[in-house]
Amino acid sequence: MSASLQQIRHAAWQAFEAAGLPTTRDEDWKYTDLSRMQALLGDQWWQLPAADAAVDAASFAIPGLDAYRLLFVNGHFDAAASNLPAAIRVTSLATLIQDEPAKAMELIANQPDALLNSSIVAANSALATDGACICVPENTKLDKPLYILYVNSGGTTHLRTGIDIGKQASVEVIEHFAGSDVSTGVTTAVTAIRLRDGAHIEHSRLQMEAAKQCHLGRVEVNQQRDSSYTLHATELGGIISRADVVSRLQEPGASCNLNGLFVATNRQHMDHHTRIDHNAPHCISRENYRAVLDGRSHGVFNGKIVVAKGAVKTDSAQQNANLLLSPHAEIDTKPELEIYNDDVKCAHGVTVGQLDKNQLFYLKSRGLSGDEAKQMLTFAFADEILARMGNQSVRRFVEKEAFAKLPNITDLEEMLG
Amino acid sequence: MLKIENLHASVAGKEILKGINLTIGAGEIHAIMGPNGSGKSTLSNVIAGRDGYEVTQGTVTYKGHDLLAMEPEERAWEGVFLAFQYPVEIPGVNNTYLLKAGVNAARRHRGEQELDAMEFMQLVREKAKLVELDQSFLSRGVNEGFSGGEKKRNEIFQMAVLEPSLALLDETDSGLDIDALRIVAKGVNTLRAADRSIIMITHYQRLLDYIEPDVVHVLADGKILKTGDKSLALELEERGYDWVRAEEAAA
Ligand SMILES: Nc1ncnc2c1ncn2[C@@H]1O[C@H](COP(=O)(O)OP(=O)(O)OP(=O)(O)O)[C@@H](O)[C@H]1O
Ligand SMILES: [Mg+2]
Repeated sequence: MSASLQQIRHAAWQAFEAAGLPTTRDEDWKYTDLSRMQALLGDQWWQLPAADAAVDAASFAIPGLDAYRLLFVNGHFDAAASNLPAAIRVTSLATLIQDEPAKAMELIANQPDALLNSSIVAANSALATDGACICVPENTKLDKPLYILYVNSGGTTHLRTGIDIGKQASVEVIEHFAGSDVSTGVTTAVTAIRLRDGAHIEHSRLQMEAAKQCHLGRVEVNQQRDSSYTLHATELGGIISRADVVSRLQEPGASCNLNGLFVATNRQHMDHHTRIDHNAPHCISRENYRAVLDGRSHGVFNGKIVVAKGAVKTDSAQQNANLLLSPHAEIDTKPELEIYNDDVKCAHGVTVGQLDKNQLFYLKSRGLSGDEAKQMLTFAFADEILARMGNQSVRRFVEKEAFAKLPNITDLEEMLG
Repeated sequence: MLKIENLHASVAGKEILKGINLTIGAGEIHAIMGPNGSGKSTLSNVIAGRDGYEVTQGTVTYKGHDLLAMEPEERAWEGVFLAFQYPVEIPGVNNTYLLKAGVNAARRHRGEQELDAMEFMQLVREKAKLVELDQSFLSRGVNEGFSGGEKKRNEIFQMAVLEPSLALLDETDSGLDIDALRIVAKGVNTLRAADRSIIMITHYQRLLDYIEPDVVHVLADGKILKTGDKSLALELEERGYDWVRAEEAAA
């Protein structure tokens, strides 16, 4: 390891030690109490071992998905079970650290301010052992999606993934976090994406951790001229989960499209913070997040949009809709717009509600039972987000996993038709 | 088929239906006319079982059963169908899927074999043709983005698929252009049968030129004030409702 990579790791560790975990006094963490995570996992939460049990990775994989594969088991790349494309360069971070420390350093140091704004990212920077490093050369369109499956058997894993997409190149990446329920732990996962001129990525991020696992994720996207970023974020698993998505529209013509769905039941806590920085003129952002909350679950959505002074002709729209299926479920939702010029179009809207009585009656009057009617409306509400997925295998998989969590789902296969 | 006796119902503490008496035999078509706010939709909602209506007195007997004791979906399984005055949009719930669920729930209830996908599609295509509903509407969300007239036509399409014994058409003719009215009327007339009764709520006598009713009622101020034959509708169209009220007051 080169001295400079070591130095960065060391500095990150010091930053983490100095800051400690964020507390609810921190505005950004007001509704997500990590002391609960600490109580669950103990002081050594950042280095818990995984359970000593074999993980059947294949059992977690999306069925019927035609894709290149990268498998990580308990934070380590499993080359034998992976299937890498020839057309683009894909390596594991561990290999990169060994063979090309300068490149590895670039990935880990990629976000100088993030070190300071989140001690979790600092811990990840200091401790990340592995992750995927993907470089898509200019003018390349990968023929199949890249499917990155991270499975764990509890314990702590720190994953760091970097995706660099060259000019006019395009790729679909699916990041899927899953695990078995044998032990508790936490996954920290930082994914840094760079989109060069005219580049495009469709990025699905499926958080389907086991029931006792915590998940702290961050996606950082830097976008150059005319690039486009599409995210499908789904949160289904884990006991406490938080995801921060930051998209920086740095040059004219860049656009981002963030879609999110969380389905929370029992005592699950799910927090999504998004931030879109309009730093250049003529950029477009679209954001659509929905939550279905049952049981005593708690959802948090914070959508921040910052339009910089020179970012004229910004076109931004944000929608957040929340469906509460139980009187004990809770949502804290807050759009945050900071606009520093007049020549912009920024629309936003938030709804929180129960199922619509008129719609329920209509369905019942056509012969559906009360339970079926509720199920159908809940499905329709959530599927509005999933319908935006371009990849039908991924969509079907998420639909099944999402609706299997809800009561009264009897003939899901039939409903999905 | 349907017997309503001394039905009183209130909404939000306000009495809307003030003693309705109505008997409809199998195979009959009854038209109900009456001024705005007189309680016509309230009556059809009470029959279909919508929440929020409190029946304070009276009975509704359908095929010999106490209709008011049944859940809305049970009523549907037993053959009660309401074509809504204002059909709701349900984005994301597929029109055809909804109907298939509805048809098969009713078949299960009757102890019949459920229709498979093929049989069902055949049924749906045939009925869509009957009301000249474009096939593209079948795969859309329920009423999602439909025009006013398209929603009404979709209601009649659903009725044709569900083949009810008692259909309540609440102002299905409102908002239809003359061609659409003819098509809807054709659909209803095709469904006329000895074992099927129809209640048509309307403001316009022109509907009755296309679908000939056996009986015409005037509902005003929560009561049936007058009952007659088709000529009553013509008279109402000419003279309005005030004379009916005056007659009632005199009696
Ligand atoms: N949910 C409700 N809350 C309060 N009042 C109601 C409610 N529903 C109906 N009403 C009132 O009950 C009365 C009867 O309404 P209804 O819809 O049955 O009339 P209608 O005869 O169908 O009128 P229209 O010809 O305009 O359709 C009206 O005064 C209406 O305002
Ligand atoms: Mg009405």
